[in-house]
Amino acid sequence: MKYLLAICGLAAALNVSGQTPQGSLFGGFESNSQWLLDDFDLKVSASEPGFIAPEDAFRANSYFQLNYNYGEFTAGLQHESYMPSALLGYSPTFDNQNGIATYYLNFKHDQLDLTAGYFYEQFGNGLILRGWEDRQLGINSAFQGVRAKFNPTEYIAFTGLIGQQRNGFELSEGVINAFDLNVDLSQKMQWSLLDLRIGGSYVNRFQDRGTNSLIPTNVAAYSGRLDWGSGQFYGGIEAIKKDPDVIANEGTLVSNRLYDGTALQANIGYSKKGLGTSATFRRLENFSFYSDRLAEGNQFNQELINYTPALTKQQDYLLTNIYVYNAQPRLITDPLDQRAGEVGVQSDLFFSFPKESTLGKIGTKVAANFSYWAGLDATFYEDQSYDVAFIGEGNRYFRDINTEIKNRWSKTFNSVLTYQNIIADKGVVLGGPLGSQGDIKATILVAEGTYKLGKGRSVRGVLQYLSTEQDRKNWSGAVVEYNFNAKWSIYAADAYNYGGEGKIHYYNTGGSFTKGRTRFAMNYGRQRGGLICVGGVCRFVPENNGFSMNLNVTF
Amino acid sequence: MKQLIILGFLLFSFGGNAQDLLPDVSLKTLEGTTTSLSEATASKSLVVISLWATWCVPCIKELDAISEVYQDWQDETEVSLIAISIDDARTVKRVKPMINGKGWDYTILLDTNNDVKRALGAATVPLTILVKDGVIVYRHSGYAPGAEDELYEQILANAK
Repeated sequence: MKYLLAICGLAAALNVSGQTPQGSLFGGFESNSQWLLDDFDLKVSASEPGFIAPEDAFRANSYFQLNYNYGEFTAGLQHESYMPSALLGYSPTFDNQNGIATYYLNFKHDQLDLTAGYFYEQFGNGLILRGWEDRQLGINSAFQGVRAKFNPTEYIAFTGLIGQQRNGFELSEGVINAFDLNVDLSQKMQWSLLDLRIGGSYVNRFQDRGTNSLIPTNVAAYSGRLDWGSGQFYGGIEAIKKDPDVIANEGTLVSNRLYDGTALQANIGYSKKGLGTSATFRRLENFSFYSDRLAEGNQFNQELINYTPALTKQQDYLLTNIYVYNAQPRLITDPLDQRAGEVGVQSDLFFSFPKESTLGKIGTKVAANFSYWAGLDATFYEDQSYDVAFIGEGNRYFRDINTEIKNRWSKTFNSVLTYQNIIADKGVVLGGPLGSQGDIKATILVAEGTYKLGKGRSVRGVLQYLSTEQDRKNWSGAVVEYNFNAKWSIYAADAYNYGGEGKIHYYNTGGSFTKGRTRFAMNYGRQRGGLICVGGVCRFVPENNGFSMNLNVTF
Repeated sequence: MKQLIILGFLLFSFGGNAQDLLPDVSLKTLEGTTTSLSEATASKSLVVISLWATWCVPCIKELDAISEVYQDWQDETEVSLIAISIDDARTVKRVKPMINGKGWDYTILLDTNNDVKRALGAATVPLTILVKDGVIVYRHSGYAPGAEDELYEQILANAK
């Protein structure tokens, strides 16, 4: 509250003393609410009770953000409310909370950019540090403290910060201090044929160790990276080493043994008009980094300092989102579930047929994607130490081959065909130990068509099919959407799991209204339980039924 | 809640005009150099800014649809389009091959840690805004097939 008054005071003072009283106010309001309803038929087997709405059947997450800019100063805050409980599947630290969650004051002048309060930040790929917000996932890992950015010349950028990380409405126990330096070598050397940038980061967590003198108070990570581009080729590499630290599971230390961690990511690509390719390799060994050593592996992704997303294609259809990958950076020494990290690749190809060619005349665009992720090939010993291969032949966690063909048949009709073949480890998708429960092999087909009816009206239809012998067997799905104009839209969708033990329809229907700064959407139906993934990070949502509403206004 | 109301009043009473000015946030070019929204739009009178992501199907549809008529739009109104990708570290490596594979002629900028998205208050993508001389004159979120025609009507009304 003190900070808040200071910010207001400052903003007011600026307003009075300024020559031109022209500040600008911007921000937004977002409210996502749900009203959960009993649904006794929503169950996979006859012995289950179905979905029984919790006591807090009506829930809402609301975010009110205000920013005020005046010349070189910007101040802002975000008020959040999760009343009476946060939406189903969010971290319980948010339940029944209501208040100012973040605030900041920023000053920008020429080469200097200073922020006090809460701020978001990313170093390099985010593999070493990333403070970010995703409201759908219930993640807000902003840092609270002070940050300075300084660009002494056009080709050097420096960032330094110190602060604690946000954890619900509280702050992490650990204090983070971090530096990042980026140099654009080609700009400095005036190279014209080669584009070369290098960078390095240092991130340290200080945390009191109480009476246990065997564990470190400071754990630092160091990274170096290089990005280049030359003509139609480009690429990059980043390597990170993390100091030895203890590992923890479910809020307790596993032992006092210390393990260091490493991360390596490299990518290469080639692209020209009409054709694009890229490939990425990543290896993570004991590479989770939290602002509290005991927060390791918490299922709500709170207090994560760095960002290790799953490097697989992010899918958007109902049935392509059932079996998804989640990155596995952790070291676990439990005899029932031993693992040291992950290694794998992802590659992409995008191609447009030239307009003159036969396939080009119907606007054919092709996208193909491949990914393979495996556990590190490690041998564990009785004293909880381990040996690990750089790549080796670890358990396969996930393999995905998918292609997408888009066509524009005429000015009014276009189509998308998607084929996907997945092999997923049951532990990754359904939970439990990895590499020992067997695989789920699934093939998915999706056909989508959109027909424009003129005057902004259009109709879109999607047919989907998922075939698998494992888990809940086969699914089919359909979506119909009708757009009255750019403002009004309605849809109905169903995903039908007909091959499994319980035959369940996951039906949904809803509509949305969008105009200028306002968007309102309503939805009624069943939510399939499982992982909801955004940006390669997932949260678990239990099966449920009910109404949901989303209101978003920006100003 | 009380704090909030007081604060709201305070801020409004400053006489801050609602945000019609394009916020000046820094972002990156595909080559990795830093630029800003004002720098990117400085030389152009009429600019469409589209916030999109490689994983957002409606975004791709919108940009594909505009791509078909983009040349005509440019010839008739001198409008230009800046497509700002909000892809984060997970998918940002797919931006370059995708835009080339698609053959889009837009200026592409990267908003990897979503500073632009936050500054524009975009809860979802796509968000399409039309900027005339640094002032936001039209905004629309979401994409329904045919929405590009409405956008073009706005462009025509603001061209000249």
